[in-house]
Amino acid sequence: MTIASSTELICFLLLGVGVVLGSIGVVLLENIVYSAFLLGGVFLSVAGLYLLLNASFVAAAQVLVYVGAVNVLILFAIMLVNKKEDLKVIKSLRLRRILSGGVCFGLLFLLVRVVITTNWSLPGPVAIGEAATERIGEHLFTDYLLPFELASVLLLMAMIGAIVLARKDVVYLESTPESDLKQGLIEQAQPTLLADKPTNS
Amino acid sequence: MFALQGYDAFLGFLLISAAVPVLALVTNKILAPQSRSGERVLTYESGMEPIGGAWIQFNIRYYMFALVFVIFDVETVFLYPWAVAFHRLGLLAFIEALIFIAILVVALAYAWRKGALEWS
Repeated sequence: MTIASSTELICFLLLGVGVVLGSIGVVLLENIVYSAFLLGGVFLSVAGLYLLLNASFVAAAQVLVYVGAVNVLILFAIMLVNKKEDLKVIKSLRLRRILSGGVCFGLLFLLVRVVITTNWSLPGPVAIGEAATERIGEHLFTDYLLPFELASVLLLMAMIGAIVLARKDVVYLESTPESDLKQGLIEQAQPTLLADKPTNS
Repeated sequence: MFALQGYDAFLGFLLISAAVPVLALVTNKILAPQSRSGERVLTYESGMEPIGGAWIQFNIRYYMFALVFVIFDVETVFLYPWAVAFHRLGLLAFIEALIFIAILVVALAYAWRKGALEWS
């Protein structure tokens, strides 16, 4: 075993341990902020695994989209949630656990089946690294041009939808002058932010 | 088999940068005096006294900025292969990318017009 291959094995083992422990922590930790940051760590480890598989573009996209965008959205969603909720006893917990366990093991079974039955060897020379990114660019601008342009329309729709949904309460905020007074240096808790406008004001 | 070039330096950078916060916290733990009272436990030792806990509901307007950021983050992912393969693609690809950006400029103009980029 050469130095390069043993380094690769060590990197793979570290990243694999990071992914497994991180995802267990995401599920089991009680503080959801810790869970969100651990999820970012899991995404970064998965990006490292892509890098080990010579897929540098996929790794970059993973970091940009999942760590940069999805995880930021999750963290912002946590910031918008008001308080720590007291954990209540859920009825029929055992049934729920059995059902969710069944769904998870079904998905695992399907994934393992896909891994076993797929023929992973590719015909011909495989482009890696920068050459693979170039080939993706060529495909994107020739035979996948319509999906590429449709993606921008989809992003436009997502932006307009988000603004339309999030603007509702801003109108309410502007209509009540006392709420502006509360907007000091410290952002105050405003539990009525998404509620209807009170009738007595 | 790992075949990408130049990632040994990246690995070294990653290890050193991972060691920086650990070393900073450990040296602080060793060297700093062990007083845990009064001003020491405050978030900021000068300035305003913090009121209440840290777990508060933030204003929903922060979410608007996050959403606008996400849209243009995803746009970057699409433009990345175009930039790498730019010298092999022709003028047509340049125009196609301009159309792509133009559609997203419409989104930016909409956000601007609706005041999503302002704090007010």
